[in-house]
Amino acid sequence: MALRAARLERKPALAVAVTVLFFAWLYLPILAVALFSFNDKKSLSAFSGFSLRWYDDLFHNSGLIRSLVASIEIATVSTVGSLVLGTMLALGLERVRSRRGRVIGAVTLLPLVTPEIVTGVAALLLFTGVGLKLSMTTVILAEVTFSIAYVTVIVRGRLAGVSTEVEEAARDLGCTPFQALRLVTLPTLVPALVGAGLLVFALVFDDFVLAFFTTGVDPQPLPVRVYSSIRFGVSPAINAIGTLMLLGSALLIVAALALPRLLSRETSSLDLITGGQK
Amino acid sequence: MALAQPATKAEPDHTRSAQRTWLWGALLALPTAWMVTFFVSSMAIIVLLSFGRTTNDGYPAFALRTTNYRAIWNQVYFELFVRSLVYALATVAISVLIAYPVAYTIARHGGRYRHALIAAIVVPFFASYLIRMYAWKALLSDDGLVNSGLRRTGLSEGVTFLNTPGAVVGGLVYGFVVYMILPIYASLERLDGSLIEAGKDLYHGPVRTFFSVTLPATRPGLYGGVLLVFLPALGDFVSAQLLGGANTYMMGNLVQQQFAEGQNWPLGSALTVGMMAALTVLMVVYLRATATRAREA
Repeated sequence: MALRAARLERKPALAVAVTVLFFAWLYLPILAVALFSFNDKKSLSAFSGFSLRWYDDLFHNSGLIRSLVASIEIATVSTVGSLVLGTMLALGLERVRSRRGRVIGAVTLLPLVTPEIVTGVAALLLFTGVGLKLSMTTVILAEVTFSIAYVTVIVRGRLAGVSTEVEEAARDLGCTPFQALRLVTLPTLVPALVGAGLLVFALVFDDFVLAFFTTGVDPQPLPVRVYSSIRFGVSPAINAIGTLMLLGSALLIVAALALPRLLSRETSSLDLITGGQK
Repeated sequence: MALAQPATKAEPDHTRSAQRTWLWGALLALPTAWMVTFFVSSMAIIVLLSFGRTTNDGYPAFALRTTNYRAIWNQVYFELFVRSLVYALATVAISVLIAYPVAYTIARHGGRYRHALIAAIVVPFFASYLIRMYAWKALLSDDGLVNSGLRRTGLSEGVTFLNTPGAVVGGLVYGFVVYMILPIYASLERLDGSLIEAGKDLYHGPVRTFFSVTLPATRPGLYGGVLLVFLPALGDFVSAQLLGGANTYMMGNLVQQQFAEGQNWPLGSALTVGMMAALTVLMVVYLRATATRAREA
């Protein structure tokens, strides 16, 4: 027995070493960017002193601020749009189990397995083909199309764990199907919707490829603007904006991972009604 | 009364299910219309325009000619196509070599820190792809940390990392390896630990156990990861543009040039359709492989 336990405990040294190196490799470049955004000299390799001058520059750069505001607007509208459409789709697909439903389900998942450049180029052709002027609106249309799949996948995951019996009960008590949906099913989806919303917001805010192909000239979404300055080289100012972008989306992703858990703990009374089915 | 009861009960059931079907159908209608309008039709337009032409004053126009597809068979494009495939395959191979040990260590030896460790991987990966590529570029640039470190220790006068295939493939791995880690981790977590124990009793060595028990059991996750890394890697243009140069350009760069710089949209469309065709072949191979496995099981 002792021998067996010892064998179980022994960790494969090589795999552990690869894992440690992997984490170093993952975080080192990011931390370097963050560190040198506080450098008081232009150098990217010698840290000479702490300074907030690059951040100060950012907040006085009106073009950059306009891009930031544009990106926040794009992400907000796209999140709301894809939450509404994605949830409708998830509900419909979960309950319509016909062949037609499966085909629709497969088509809506296609954006997930299509390289973004293809989606971006196709959206550009569509918009210019029908004579839409490229602007923030076209970016939003493209981003919503791309994000619906994320919402649908997450909401369907949650729906699969919710029994239809409570909805049935509500119907027996005289609810119309729409009331049963609104009063019974939708509240159970809140944790999933919060998680999906935060995730989509972060993805859209950071998205470069789709925005690059579908944006107008002004205002440019933040990643598109940052990209054009990165192409010309490395600079402390980009370190500063990059640090802020990383921090912002990291917080959103952490919230997207953590909040649904916290919220579903709060709705545990509801789990009691559904017989504790998760 | 007793007779009437079943009848009244049956009737609402019938209308109820009809009502419900109507509701679910109505819920499906809007998103379906949206996807058809903005996704399906845009794909159709790209296929149509790939047979199109450029007018004398430089505008793309629909036509029915195969000029663009014949243009792809030009040697320069073909080289680029092969290079993209090689880079994407190298990215997949390196990702497997990194992701398997990482997923294995976390799933089997992570203990109660498992979820925290996975979150520590997921969070930076889903935060700004662009900034992570930039971070990589800053680190490897001629006056970046790596080179200044080399100079300070006197090991070397400095190495040119950027503009090399290694930098581009490294960037792709850095960008997409998480899509390999997650599915492998998921299948490892589902794997019953006593199976590995039994394997060790039967086959003795950990290496033989790995190849005869662990690897076959996690093959679906591995296949999924291969697909999820290969798809974005083949279409990427950011890594090659930021970390590489004209001699490391991939298909994505070519497509991007046709649309953003070269302005030959019909040719760009044909290149895109070609890329999609290559990916579709891969998807079909993947689906058939997993379907065969499911039948065997």
